[in-house]
Amino acid sequence: MELDYSFLEKTLLLVLLAIPTTLKLTVVSVLAAAPFSLFIALVRLHRRGALLRLVTAYVTFVRGTPIVLQILLVYSLLPSALKAGAAGLGLSVDVFALNPVFYAYAVFTLNTIALLSEVFRSALGNIAPGQMEAALCAGLTKPQAYAYIILPQALVSAMPNLCNLTVNLIKGTSLAFLMTVQDMTATAKIAASYGYNYIEAYLDVFVGYVLVCSVVQCLFHYAERHVGRYRLVRQKQG
Amino acid sequence: MLKIRNVHKKFHHIEVLKGVDITVDKGDVVVILGPSGSGKTTLLRCMNFLERADQGEMEFDAVHLELMAASSREIAQIRKKTAFVFQNYNLFQNKTALENVTVGLTVGRGMSRMQAEAVGMKALIKVGLADRANFYPAQLSGGQQQRVGIARAIAVEPDVILFDEPTSALDPELVGEVLAVIKQLAKEGKTMVIVTHEMKFAAEVATHVVFMADGNIVEEGSPEMMFVCPKEERTRSFLRRILPQIEYNI
Repeated sequence: MELDYSFLEKTLLLVLLAIPTTLKLTVVSVLAAAPFSLFIALVRLHRRGALLRLVTAYVTFVRGTPIVLQILLVYSLLPSALKAGAAGLGLSVDVFALNPVFYAYAVFTLNTIALLSEVFRSALGNIAPGQMEAALCAGLTKPQAYAYIILPQALVSAMPNLCNLTVNLIKGTSLAFLMTVQDMTATAKIAASYGYNYIEAYLDVFVGYVLVCSVVQCLFHYAERHVGRYRLVRQKQG
Repeated sequence: MLKIRNVHKKFHHIEVLKGVDITVDKGDVVVILGPSGSGKTTLLRCMNFLERADQGEMEFDAVHLELMAASSREIAQIRKKTAFVFQNYNLFQNKTALENVTVGLTVGRGMSRMQAEAVGMKALIKVGLADRANFYPAQLSGGQQQRVGIARAIAVEPDVILFDEPTSALDPELVGEVLAVIKQLAKEGKTMVIVTHEMKFAAEVATHVVFMADGNIVEEGSPEMMFVCPKEERTRSFLRRILPQIEYNI
């Protein structure tokens, strides 16, 4: 088997240039999802009744369906729904001219909301109830207790799962090509389609993901050490 | 100063408090004794709304309220007049010793950081931990953590400090250092309510002793009366069990 090295090189550059698209999809989805995820986690930990059933159903639905299916569903439903909505409001917007990346943001955010809420739920559940009690006794309000005591600690115990989620999402965004978004995968596939250099293209994409995911894991490693300083001292002593 | 009347509390149909009254005057050191499950801790936790009583009233200085109907604003008001020392310390794990003491001042009461740090250091000096100000809880021994817990309580200058078995989670050799700090506070005339199993300490610091069993107050009075000649058989049998040496001493 002979590899086309010049194509390999050229395409690698294209793939690397598409990294920002992949990262943007990931970062926007995680940041947009975070507040909703926190809300769902708190509901699942502390509420009963209709709201709890609603958010639980949402999480179950998202976790229980393949992301490919979610993408296909949103990508075929959302434009028509938006068009109907726009028409209903009397607006003449061409929803089909909308950059497909917005549909990608929508799908990955909706998906991440559910997964991230479970990360938050497990992290918040790990904080001893005494921390909240002590904060209230010290004269803090509940929101203050969350901001200064509970969330900073939850963030630390969430770090490994947060890293997992982020890396999975980076890889998951490769499915954005289904929505014609030109991320790393799509870029390589398009380049390969001209001369059927699929093996080279896939190798390039492979390198691209390994690179991005390695860097992200390193960043999380340092971030965890930074936000978890107060725990490291104990590990050193023990 | 602080009066609570007719406190009732149920957990899953089990009545833990069956109509308890307690009065704390300024400068009092009220010690609550009793076997496990007698409702001592629940009573203490009802006093600053960590547990919501099912029934009962509270008078705190000029504030008068129904325990089960108090609004969150009223609860916040009561909590700012009290401080709580927990059995298992509950220090904020992500904060240094000094930050543990100051966060209630800066975040809770809007004091400037500089002023709060001065107050916080004074409190840490009082419990003998000035040199541990920048240590995290994970770096401190149990006794040191509990002393930071006490510093956190006194820094906010509460009208009354509530102690929930402050030495029960400590190794025996660390109990002394914590009790010494509390004795010092008693000497300074701080108002305190203390749930404890340390009888010798109780006899030393208490101005008023309350004996509880099965969700009721069985007997209360001065430490002399309660430790030397308790009237109720329930009190006597408890003291006999917990202080076997008393038989020989008498």
